[in-house]
Amino acid sequence: MEREQASEEKVPLFKKWSYWYMLVAGFLLVCIGVFYFLTKHYS
Amino acid sequence: MSRPDWIVLVLTLLAIIAYGLYKGRTSRDLDGYFLSNRTVPWYMVLLGIMGTQASAVTFLSAPGQAFTDGMRFVQYYFGLPLAIIVVCVSFVPVFRRLKVYTAYEFLEQRFDLKTRLLTSFLFLVQRGVSTGISIAAPSIILSSLLGWNILWTNVFMGGLLIIYTVTGGAKAVAYTQQLQMIIIFGGMAVAGYMVVRGLPAGVGLSQVLHIGGKAGKLNIITTGFRKGGGFDWSDRYNLLSGIIGGFFLQLSYFGADQSQVGRYLTARSTSESRLGLLLNGLVKVPMQFLILLLGVMVFAFYQFHPRPVFFNQSQIAKLERSKYKDSVDMLLARYEAGELERMGSQRRLYETVETDKSGRAMLPDSGLQAGRLERAQAADRATVKRWLDDPAVGGDSNETNYIFLRFVTDYLPVGLIGLLIAVIVLAAWGSIAPTLNALASCTIVDFHRRLARVPLGAEKEYRLSRWYTLLWGVFCVAMAQLAYNAGNSLIEAVNMLGSMFYGVILGVFLVAFLRRRTGGRAVFISAVIVEIGVIVLNVLGRKGIVPLGFLWFNVIGAVGVVVLSEVLQLFVRRRG
Repeated sequence: MEREQASEEKVPLFKKWSYWYMLVAGFLLVCIGVFYFLTKHYS
Repeated sequence: MSRPDWIVLVLTLLAIIAYGLYKGRTSRDLDGYFLSNRTVPWYMVLLGIMGTQASAVTFLSAPGQAFTDGMRFVQYYFGLPLAIIVVCVSFVPVFRRLKVYTAYEFLEQRFDLKTRLLTSFLFLVQRGVSTGISIAAPSIILSSLLGWNILWTNVFMGGLLIIYTVTGGAKAVAYTQQLQMIIIFGGMAVAGYMVVRGLPAGVGLSQVLHIGGKAGKLNIITTGFRKGGGFDWSDRYNLLSGIIGGFFLQLSYFGADQSQVGRYLTARSTSESRLGLLLNGLVKVPMQFLILLLGVMVFAFYQFHPRPVFFNQSQIAKLERSKYKDSVDMLLARYEAGELERMGSQRRLYETVETDKSGRAMLPDSGLQAGRLERAQAADRATVKRWLDDPAVGGDSNETNYIFLRFVTDYLPVGLIGLLIAVIVLAAWGSIAPTLNALASCTIVDFHRRLARVPLGAEKEYRLSRWYTLLWGVFCVAMAQLAYNAGNSLIEAVNMLGSMFYGVILGVFLVAFLRRRTGGRAVFISAVIVEIGVIVLNVLGRKGIVPLGFLWFNVIGAVGVVVLSEVLQLFVRRRG
């Protein structure tokens, strides 16, 4: 039972899920930044 | 469509159906039929989530939207990654721990039966009707451009997938979505390549971006503030409405819409549910950006190729049967000659300036909107739209949905046209099949099984589930036919249907997660009152009395339920 729970909670790639959340939120910010640059540059 | 195109189309669709039937064998119970016995790996969860969200209209309309309105539509998805994070933190662990079949089962455990039934009912109404429209919208476009019979197109678009969805349930849906997404991405990449190949030598991505930018198509980020100051609440797509309104919409979609919840509940573990969702949060915005960029590329393409006076040819045929017949013939002759002149001048301008090798001066900017020829051509296009808007003609002056497919049928080689039509049909199947599965799961789990006086037994539940999937499939195709007969006004109204219900459903879930002391009675009454309020606001909005972009309905619905249930709970406590 414990082993099953441990495999349920195993986080791929990072140590914690919070790092995944930061990656997703950070990537969104980067996208918005790049889009802002494209908008300004080509307007 | 030519015979080779038909062969490509039919073989692709038959392959998907056969693959679904082959892979869709599961245990004959609800766990197997609706959750694939919870054995699906993360990458199939990811493709399932993406396939469910990306409908045929996504691939048909988005490039056309960028062509006409620019790329600002991408902001609609800015709330998605943030919503995914909240779903992974709050919703996924609870749903997985309770081993629920539907999201609404959780609400009975948290509140009471009536709250579960209300939210499940709202989902069934909203999804059942909107799925019919999601069949009708691409069917109307295909039948109009290719001259297909609308009833058969609806059956083609929404009926054939019933074969593998009824037989194999969630497992067939997951496996076919995997293959569908590969074909869809492949087809769109080929379309992108063909656009670039059709551009004059030396015109690359950088020049395409300059051409798009000059024409105002690269308006990717917009603030929503008017030039004179003040925020435009009726503006549909801007940074603020995308992040805030989009966040509430996507939170409701991924946390409380069974068609998505059903995808990540099939995962092998909580970790794989989360991973599939989070990777979708990473790829969705760039993916949507690329689809819109394809629209800008098509726009640049038409700077060097003859652009139709109106992309929906069937509407021109309509004008030719109207009182404008003679005027249309004259306008078309003038426009076609004008296009040749415009293109020639465009190419000459480009070639002349290119030899200067002076950076931005290389761009054929005066050949875009500013040029005399282009202005004359634009005036002719505007005239056609004005005629179509004449009530005596009864035409449809919105050509956005037809732009990409017209490019495909006019400029792609034989064989590839069939592949791109298959992409559109598969995109429809990929989003409709999981929805039928979700509609059937809510019907059997939240209503039939829950309200049955005696236990049904695993085999009977399985058989009933297949029947409900079939019935919902037939209902959605019938809705599609009804929508076609009712015309565009119904389609536009139902497009906003999701936002009218999503906010309230999300509000109920937010109270369940965030306000531990609030009871079922308070949240139920709040949901009913706020739902009525949102519908009234929508009606007022359509009449222009309260102009409000539809994304804001999600915020109003969710926040309204949370606040009102809190107030009502205080009242209940005092009375107690």
